Amino acid sequence: MKPALNIKSVNKKFDGTVALDDFSLEIPQNSITGIIGPNGAGKTTLFNVITGFLPLDSGKIIYNGKNLSRMPSYKIARAGIARTFQQLRLITRMTVLDNILLSFQNQAGEYLKNTFLFPGRVKKQERKNREKANELLAFMGIEEKAGDLVEDLSYGQQKMISLACCLASGADLLLLDEPVAGINPSMIEKILMVIKKLPEAGKTFVIIEHNIEAVMRVCDRVIFMDEGKKIAEGDPESVRHDPAVIEAYLE
Amino acid sequence: MEYLLHILILIGIYVILAVSLNLIVGYSGLLSIAHASFYGVGAYVAALLALKLHSPFLANIICAIILSGLLGAIVGIPSLRIRDDYFAIATFAFQVITFSVMNNWVSFTGGPMGLPGIPRPAIFGWKITTHYDFLIVILVLCIIILWISHKIVTSPFGRVLKAVREDEIFAQAMGKNVASYKVLIFVIGAGMASVAGVMYAYYISFIDPTSFTIMESILIISIVIIGGAGNIWGSVLGAAVLVILPEALRFLGMPSSIAANMRQIIYGALLVIFMLFRPQGFIGEYTFRK
Amino acid sequence: MLAQVLLNGLIAGSTYALIGISFGLIYMPTRFFHFAHGVVYAAGAYGTLAAISWLNLPLSIAVLVGVGTSTVIGLTIECTVYRALRRRSASSLVFLLTSLGLYIVLQNSISLFFGDYIQSIRIGAVEEGIDILGARITPAQILIVSMSLALTVAVTILLKRTKMGRAIRAVANDAELADISGINRDKVFFRTFAIGSALAGVAGILVAFDSDFCPTMGINALMMGVVAVIIGGVGSIHGIALGALLIGMAQQFGVWKIGSQWQNAIAFVILLIFLLFRPQGFLGKKVKKVTV
Repeated sequence: MKPALNIKSVNKKFDGTVALDDFSLEIPQNSITGIIGPNGAGKTTLFNVITGFLPLDSGKIIYNGKNLSRMPSYKIARAGIARTFQQLRLITRMTVLDNILLSFQNQAGEYLKNTFLFPGRVKKQERKNREKANELLAFMGIEEKAGDLVEDLSYGQQKMISLACCLASGADLLLLDEPVAGINPSMIEKILMVIKKLPEAGKTFVIIEHNIEAVMRVCDRVIFMDEGKKIAEGDPESVRHDPAVIEAYLE
Repeated sequence: MEYLLHILILIGIYVILAVSLNLIVGYSGLLSIAHASFYGVGAYVAALLALKLHSPFLANIICAIILSGLLGAIVGIPSLRIRDDYFAIATFAFQVITFSVMNNWVSFTGGPMGLPGIPRPAIFGWKITTHYDFLIVILVLCIIILWISHKIVTSPFGRVLKAVREDEIFAQAMGKNVASYKVLIFVIGAGMASVAGVMYAYYISFIDPTSFTIMESILIISIVIIGGAGNIWGSVLGAAVLVILPEALRFLGMPSSIAANMRQIIYGALLVIFMLFRPQGFIGEYTFRK
Repeated sequence: MLAQVLLNGLIAGSTYALIGISFGLIYMPTRFFHFAHGVVYAAGAYGTLAAISWLNLPLSIAVLVGVGTSTVIGLTIECTVYRALRRRSASSLVFLLTSLGLYIVLQNSISLFFGDYIQSIRIGAVEEGIDILGARITPAQILIVSMSLALTVAVTILLKRTKMGRAIRAVANDAELADISGINRDKVFFRTFAIGSALAGVAGILVAFDSDFCPTMGINALMMGVVAVIIGGVGSIHGIALGALLIGMAQQFGVWKIGSQWQNAIAFVILLIFLLFRPQGFLGKKVKKVTV
């Protein structure tokens, strides 16, 4: 199968410390890839260079035949890559519904020309997006929260909303930075259920997560990273029992 | 009666200034201390065109909007590289530079002597001369600008503006071209502010640089904050309160030598009090917290 | 002519360095633009003026009154308004707006008490100047230049060698870490405002010795100080002094070549260039950026 994302020998340094060291990785389409590794292994940095929030020092990142390496973040998002952040980012003083509505792409009403010259078109699309947003919230089982301010929700619910925003953006590749860390088991269950259903709908996931159990349950493939390098790669069981991984965790 | 109309006209001018600044500060979170310079650019463009080319009122308004909008883009662009208070300082610098040009380019702007004798305007043959006429024109312009602003902030475009204000990283991650929103809202706000300047120049028929100082910029910010940042109607309320309040000093029989300073003290004190105890203003939603 | 331009640049730069260092010292741990510092500066000159003309005190004691006035005003602002804002963990924008409001209130209060017209506490007549290589400098100006040099050295030593200086730098580098390591932040701010305000008073008085002044003297001087701090680099006293010298020289060359009315514009164009292309200044560390 053709890879959705192809990362070729990417390097990234911060003031002398190496965050990504000649890192290469292929993400197959409709897969769920887990990335594990100790703190400071370069996992979040990897997400940041893929999504253009950090410039890379060298290397190439190809997504669906497009080279992302010099693209601004918003264009990468438009190309179909959505992400969540370790330190959750949402518009906390807007409602859940507004956050979802914000996340849709190609909105006519985002251009003032359309707001003033074609108000009918803008209204029609806005109505459709509203429906889609409500369907999405229902799919995730949080439709009753639509009118709440995000800041009034629990941490787990906020993580759910940020996943919903990624889905609303219509992206095919979703990068989730610790989607289940720090939330209660029943919420973890809900989020994992949602993630598991999506590859059949054409979505591809890369997940950074410290919760090994969760990774074992949803991922097809696991990458173990340390010091900016890929140490092991394979199906969850084999990576778990890889001597290099065991050694690194024992350290 | 004239006096009452005069107050209403002033309120109208400050409504335009405050609403346009609110789009930039209250909705997009870009603190600009340069709004009086766009106000001034509008006034000077209208005055110079009317005096030197005798061009008609509507043409002058359009020229003022275009030129001021261009300057707005220039002020907005630094917001892509620097943020928060550093950006505010950059707008401060811009304000000082435009004032300096108005004050020192004597051959063009008249310098500190200003530009007297701005002729009465006319729209399609209707001569605008009395206070009534001016009030009607300003009222119409206010309504147009309020309508446009309302449309902007309630549209998906406005939703992105708020997202940029609250968390621009998230907005980018969701595919929004943050840079273009910031620059565009500056262009719009600056263009609107110039309309207030055009009306001021025609109404008073004399302009000089002292009307467009940094203190004027701070006054407009005070109106936005006291009325409520992030709420258009807050700016209408704020403008009414801050224009009427100092006028009350007159009725208290305060000598005019003191009144000028007392007015400023009132603005300043209200700004401090609101920032301390009610940063959202009367009816706003943005409190400058991150 | 060139010698006079260079000397005038040095004098102007020194006056900016005086206010710049006092502002920069406060900015370092607080990290917000304390505009009301402009009034604290003016209060030095007006306090001295009041002591001379209302109380008939001798100059030396009047100067102390002036410095005391500045210190008291600076500390009052810190202990009442700023401390309250800090309790509400207000953003730097809220601090900036509040301090603009304070500036307006206080500057207009000076106008009410002393009138808007020009005042003078000049020392020595202008013709008393001394010639250096064909350039002229007055005793008051010599005082300004030497004081700014002395303060650059003194404040650098204060920051590098004293316990208090280390505390200020600790708060400047990482306020939370400083909290954890047991530094009392309010105490550090109190002392910084005390020293910074006193220095601003000294700066205001020295400038008033050299030229006439009016209630708005503070905002312009403060902005030159702010420009010096930004282009010199926050946290570096040498940087501030160099930044001040750079604007002073640039302005005086501007006066020579294009006319004195463009001095402000020149300083702020330099500021814009730095903000856009080197916002950390030439000696400073990186400024805050949006971090992921």
